Amino acid sequence: MIIIACVDERNGMMFNRRRQSRDSAVCGDILRECGGKKLYMSAYSGKLFGDVQENDIRISEDFLKEAGEEDICFVEDIPISGFEDKIRTVILYQWNRRYPADQYFPLELTDGFWELQRTEELKGTSHEKITKEVYERAR
Amino acid sequence: MKSERKRIGWRLLPLLLCCLLLTACAELGALSGSDGGHSRETEIIALSELPEYSGEPYVEINGNEPDFSKEEWTEESFEKYAELDRQGRCGTAYASVGTDLMPTEKRGSIGQVKPTGWQTVKYDIVDGKYLYNRCHLIGYQLSGENANEKNLITGTRYMNVEGMLPFENMVADYVRETGNHVLYRVTPVFEEDNLLADGVRMEAFSVEDEGDGISFHVFVYNVQPGIEIDYATGESSLGSSEAYGTETQEGEIRGNSRSKIFHCPGQAAYEEMADSKYLVIFETEKEAEDAGYRKAKR
Repeated sequence: MIIIACVDERNGMMFNRRRQSRDSAVCGDILRECGGKKLYMSAYSGKLFGDVQENDIRISEDFLKEAGEEDICFVEDIPISGFEDKIRTVILYQWNRRYPADQYFPLELTDGFWELQRTEELKGTSHEKITKEVYERAR
Repeated sequence: MKSERKRIGWRLLPLLLCCLLLTACAELGALSGSDGGHSRETEIIALSELPEYSGEPYVEINGNEPDFSKEEWTEESFEKYAELDRQGRCGTAYASVGTDLMPTEKRGSIGQVKPTGWQTVKYDIVDGKYLYNRCHLIGYQLSGENANEKNLITGTRYMNVEGMLPFENMVADYVRETGNHVLYRVTPVFEEDNLLADGVRMEAFSVEDEGDGISFHVFVYNVQPGIEIDYATGESSLGSSEAYGTETQEGEIRGNSRSKIFHCPGQAAYEEMADSKYLVIFETEKEAEDAGYRKAKR
């Protein structure tokens, strides 16, 4: 399973049950990353992709359970704990800003179990520089 | 009056905050004419339970629910600032933040404003050295307000950068991305006649989506770890080492400046961090936490 998440400078994701930030450039990049493959997400996340064709997105509150090995999941409000072993790739978008947080990205990608495969920089519509990092499970 | 973590002040908090709230209500009433004591009773209860500062720059209050009545919801931008009180202190700053309120040019000089409690003082342990910043109540990135004395208070670097700025960033991004409006209210909280605020109460609520995008209510502490502050005057001194943890451990703490996670001796990625280009060394866990790092889980 491939998971996609957005984090701030401290790996924060959400505050008070709401996403920390958003950028339409990231949504566009996520869809390009999917390359026509179905993108799994919760109903909460679905609102971010409002204009996207229904057949490109699968909305479910159990999407982490339903997703297969090759499927791509966008994670915001649904905790990934319990599904760590299914994850083989992590795509992380770093806002490079700091926000309040009470929910954090739980995987420690510097612990030797993950390998950074590529890094890209995006110019967002409301963020000067967004850093995209792709990690593969190393062992 | 000196209190490194404001121990004295917080003990008096229930009584104090009731008094402060009355002041805040009066200010809000004068500003908007519509607050009318809405939900204030529940807020008093929440505020009276405010904990002493314990390492986090802010604490959620009132269940993290802002205190705007439905009558206040508007899709028009505005900004209102309370008159300075007889001591020259700021009151509530209140805005409906929309893209038309946001600045289109870089911030100008604000050095000519001297908010109450202002002192120009430097410490090596403070990020940027200067203990105090002129803190915008409504951040410049939200309102474009420059050197407005009704919108600037004396705040520690820690309150400004670690406490208030992340909330401003969150609101600014939301408004820029959606074009929606956010009701945004910041109330400085002063104890009695003190010239320096104990902190600020920050509330925000996104209007068009009825709080789906932005909704919070927090109190941000006007403290600086490691520094003792006299809130009556704003005078300060280096704090005692005991309170901020100078205890040494078996081996240094290794932080990752990228992930903002720190690793203690014996933890999974501790050895690996030694060669990381993102390595930051701390003497104690407390020091790492004060710098905004979280401890690794494994």
